[in-house]
Order: sequence, then C-alpha cells, then structure tokens
Amino acid sequence: MALEGSLQDMSLVDLFQVFRMGPKSGMLILQHEDKRGVIYVHEGRLLDAFVVQGVARTVIATRDEAVLSLLAWHEACFVFRHDLSVVGRPTRIEHDAEWLVLESMRRSTRTPVASTYQNLTIETRLQLSPLPNSAESSVSLDVDQWRILSHAANNEDLQTICAATNIDKERTFRIVNELLAIGLVEIAPLASVVLRVRQLHHQRCLWQPLPSRLQ
Amino acid sequence: MQILKIVITGSYAAGKSQFIRSISDIEPVSTDYSTTLDSERALKKETTVALDFGTIAINDKLTLYLFGTPGQERFDYMWEHLAIGCIGYIVLVDSCRPAYFTETRHLLDRFSEITDAPFIVAANKQDDPAALPALYVRRRLVIANDVPVVPCIGTQRESVKLALIALLKHIAASAVEHTEDKAESA
Repeated sequence: MALEGSLQDMSLVDLFQVFRMGPKSGMLILQHEDKRGVIYVHEGRLLDAFVVQGVARTVIATRDEAVLSLLAWHEACFVFRHDLSVVGRPTRIEHDAEWLVLESMRRSTRTPVASTYQNLTIETRLQLSPLPNSAESSVSLDVDQWRILSHAANNEDLQTICAATNIDKERTFRIVNELLAIGLVEIAPLASVVLRVRQLHHQRCLWQPLPSRLQ
Repeated sequence: MQILKIVITGSYAAGKSQFIRSISDIEPVSTDYSTTLDSERALKKETTVALDFGTIAINDKLTLYLFGTPGQERFDYMWEHLAIGCIGYIVLVDSCRPAYFTETRHLLDRFSEITDAPFIVAANKQDDPAALPALYVRRRLVIANDVPVVPCIGTQRESVKLALIALLKHIAASAVEHTEDKAESA
C-alpha cells in the first residue's frame, strides 16, 4: 500500500504540504524517463534527497539541490511509502520545504506549479489555510506577499485585493500562487452547498415541480 | 416499515462495493463483472456495472437501503436511476490515488445536477499511513465548508457506521435548515 500518482495529479509542492499535515514519514520516489529522484521524509520534514540518471544511476544532484531540481519537474510518476526506518538517516537537507519551494519559484520563469489544477480568476476568493505550518519554518515573505496575505484573511476576492493593494493583476496572481504553494492560503469554495441547494430549488420551482424525496 | 434510500458513489476503485459489504445485514447483491481495460485491471479484477445493494435494519420500523453506483463514467446513466428517491449520498474517495480526483470532481458536479439531496465525502483507505488526509481531500475537491468530509476505512464496519451516522446527521441538519428557510420566506 502506498500513495501513488503522477505530478499532474498532485504536485510535489502539494506532497510536501501533505507530509507536513500528517505528519508523515517515509520515502518518496519520483521517476521521469531515465531519471529517478528520492526524498526521505521524517514527520513531515525533508531529511535527505538525491537524483540519479541512467542505468548506471549516476548521481546528478544531492541534498537541497536535488529537491530544487525535482521541484522543476512537471512530469513524473511518484510513489510515497510509509517507512519509519527513515528516522535513522542523518538530516542532510539544510532548508525546510517552504523555503525550497519559494527558492524554486524564484529560479523558475514558469507559472508556479501549484496552479496546475487551481485556476485563478479575478473572482477567486481566498481564505487562510487551516494547515498547521511548522513553527521552525524559515520562509520570509516580502511586503507585497504580506499585504495580499492580510487581505486573504478577510476572504476577499482577487479583484478586491488588486484594488486595495494597488498591485497589478499579473503580479497578484503570481504572489497568490506562491502563497498557495507554500500552504499559507487556499481557494475558498465558490458557494456553500446550502446556497447551491437553494439555487437548484429555485430553478426547479421555475421549471418543474420538485420530485418526491422518497419512493 | 419505513425505508430510507442512501446512495454510495465514487470514482473507479474508490471502495464502494466493500463499503456496502462491510455494513450490510444481508449478503450484498452485486453486479460485478471482470474488468476489460488493462488500466482498470491493474487496480482490481472485477467491477460493478449496474449496482450494489445492501440493507441495514436500524430498528423494527426503519431500514436503510444502500445502493452502490458503478464507478466508471461509461455506466453513468445508472446514476440517475439510483439517485431517484435517495435521502442522501456518500461520495467515496480513494485517498491513495489522486489520479481519480478530477473524475470525482466531475461526479460531484453531475450528482448535484441529478439530485439536491445532502451528501458527505468519505476519504477512504485511511488505514494506509501514506493516505492523503481528509483535510487535503476537502481542499483538492473544493468541498464547501458545510459539507462533512470524514476519514473512512471501508473494510472496517465501525468506520463505515461512523460515515453513515455523519451522513444521517448532515441530512437532519439540512432538513432543519430547509424548514427554517421556508419559515423565513413565509
């Protein structure tokens, strides 16, 4: 038994958040063509990582650089297996996952990976993430990130946030993607189910009688 | 005897048949056939093509009828038939296979078109320590905060029972809210 998928199903950034939420311990293996990456995780913290290539398994990156290179992958299959024996491994990764995610975004010119299945629009409403962030997180936010984060706490949509902060739409979207990626904010559900039921009920009242609930 | 109908739905290999099997008072009625596609065979040998059916007698006067839907979208014409008259439904999610989240999201949207009955989401297969937590499942499926998302182990009767109780409580709460709305509008 294991958590299995591809990076299209679930980004590495999301996997890091899930490790922290657990907190989970084990070994994450990513495979893309002839490259293979391995990350050891103990109670949500990244302990060690490496990337190898080819049949000879030539090591092409280790430690923080291995994680950064894996964060740049957009296609790969992954398997995460729970394994408590990782506790015996020495910690060789210097920075925490949030720092590495932000650093990977700084190095990349592409849209942050968190946005692959989270489509932001100007109507997108944000809320603070209930995820427990590790106290020892070394992430430092810049002024604009803080400004947008403070508006997210008020459940405001991106249009309101752009207007209130005077940050242009493109930059706002990029910052929101960064905040999503490090797990500080999340997209608020569009409408509660109660609202949805009321809408459906209203629509049905207009067009047809409600069917009986029970046979 | 009052009969209440509950539908158990979810994507392929989410554990719907096992969920019903774990709690049913009767030997469940199943319509399982051998899987035909290689990708499906990799996960399980047999799949439900029409429905699963099980019952739970709450007391002398009340019995729950559980109907499990087929998981593959090519059998989705069955969903509408199975949803008729249901008082609520449970959407099972395989917490170890994020590949099925998109399909589950489509299923949630489709069911909200078919029926306005209340539902809960059960993040199944939580006996695997690597499983995604219910909180993450809620976020990825963009489930509204007032819809319960419960952790579940479909192979354990007690866990299945807790999921059903969560659904019944949610149905009761929705009914109260609906009554209050009607009173307000009157």
